[in-house]
Amino acid sequence: MEKQFNEFSIKLEESGNLREKIRAVSMEMESAIRIMQSGLLMVHQSRPMPEVLEKAKFQIDVLKKLYGVLADILKDFPGQYYRYHGDWKSSTQTVVSLVAFLHWLETGDLLMHSEAEEKLGLGSYSEFGLDIEDYLIGICLMSNDLPRYVVNQVTAGDYDCPRKVLKFLTDLHAAFRMLNLRNDLLRKKFDGMKYDLRRVEEVFYDVKIRGLMTIGDSTEDPGREAKVGAMVIFFLSLFPEDVLHGGGAHQQAKKLGVFEVALIFNSWSNHQ
Amino acid sequence: MASKPHRVHHIAETSPSNSAKKAKKITTTTMKEGFEKYTQYLNEMNDKRERLVKASRDITINSKKVIFQVHRINKHNKDEVLEKAEKDLANVTNQYIARLLKELQGTDFWKLRRAYSPGVQEYIEAATLCKFCTTGTLLTLVEINTNLLPLSDPSHEPFQINVLDYLLGVADLTGELMRLAIGRISDGELEYAEKICQFVRDIYRELTLVVPHMDDNFEMKKKMETMLQSVVKIENACFSVHVRGSEYMPLLGSSEPNFSFLGVTDFEL
Repeated sequence: MEKQFNEFSIKLEESGNLREKIRAVSMEMESAIRIMQSGLLMVHQSRPMPEVLEKAKFQIDVLKKLYGVLADILKDFPGQYYRYHGDWKSSTQTVVSLVAFLHWLETGDLLMHSEAEEKLGLGSYSEFGLDIEDYLIGICLMSNDLPRYVVNQVTAGDYDCPRKVLKFLTDLHAAFRMLNLRNDLLRKKFDGMKYDLRRVEEVFYDVKIRGLMTIGDSTEDPGREAKVGAMVIFFLSLFPEDVLHGGGAHQQAKKLGVFEVALIFNSWSNHQ
Repeated sequence: MASKPHRVHHIAETSPSNSAKKAKKITTTTMKEGFEKYTQYLNEMNDKRERLVKASRDITINSKKVIFQVHRINKHNKDEVLEKAEKDLANVTNQYIARLLKELQGTDFWKLRRAYSPGVQEYIEAATLCKFCTTGTLLTLVEINTNLLPLSDPSHEPFQINVLDYLLGVADLTGELMRLAIGRISDGELEYAEKICQFVRDIYRELTLVVPHMDDNFEMKKKMETMLQSVVKIENACFSVHVRGSEYMPLLGSSEPNFSFLGVTDFEL
């Protein structure tokens, strides 16, 4: 009996040492993450973007190296990736959120799992990869940053930003709804995403209703404009007083589902 | 009113344009494709986890049955009862443990450990209890894993129960041994009870050295407390018999055991 337990002690001590090594790397990762995070916060102050992005990108390389160190440590312990996974899991989720946010700022697209693996150099090891759940949680974390970004961009005068973000976030939310989730952290994070979506919708509404949006991509359905114009004239003939003095006309239009007309009436009454 | 046509124009043009729609379509398809893959991955992982949880529950239920079978022993039926227990245990191994190891290849072993660990612990508890009753020794992890080798597919890395689950199972074993010891005392088998007492003490002593090195030892720490209680219960029972037992010597071994001298009410059986 004693012999067996001695062996266990030795074995467990070994894995304890291994865990300590991993934790040391994970600490380094956290400090790299903090630098990257604080660098990226500059986008909320609308500093010149390229400079901000370059700085943050530099940390990606640091993280890439650290993941390399981790993969190297675990190379000799096949199959045990998930035994120690907990020690760098939450860091990885944050890393994904930052890298994905950066990618979105640059391209306007969602950073996919394979792209994230590639960016962090995680695609090249046999076992050591990017866990899909970590990736998805990271994406949810990124979505948490978007409302703040939108608010600050609008304040800085970029009125087209809410439309872009809203479109992106709506697509993302729709994509997430395809997943069958369990009652776990991912589910909780995904449930939080709808609040981000709502906040961005509110900002978008605020900007749109005040007619602040820039003249966007101008290849509009030509018939559309004429139709809206006709509807406005139609409403004018029905409720001339209401339309001009901010009465119920815009409610009527809203009820009928012609939102563009309702928006026009509303902006008129705001101007009067 | 002069601004009216301008406003119409303005708002109408902020709606998504055709070219924008096209661009959107491209990004959403890649997003869609990506998420289809993730959906598939999550579904497979969840199904697998679900199957493991079920297998683990089956192992638990059937290992419990083995343990109850062992508790049915008395002075006269020992061989017969243990033979049946061993047969049931072999059945658990071949039927249910086999189901586990089909699922646990590569990294899944550690990723899904929480799903199957309770069953494995219970299985170890049953296996070590049987072994103790037949030979009086502790079944080692190496012995258990050697026993599992023939179940594994030779083309894969063989499934081996890990040290952590083994230790957690052994920690539970002491609870069963406590019940067994009390039962043996009631049955008048004092020597057997003392042997159990010594065995449980050894396990407890050895574990105190190992536990601090365990991965996530919160669960194990709780078990250590329970284990100490079990040890104390057995010691107290042995003490009671030792001190007061001599007065009742004629009763010991009689076919109708008298529990009163044990102060049995002190023990939660």
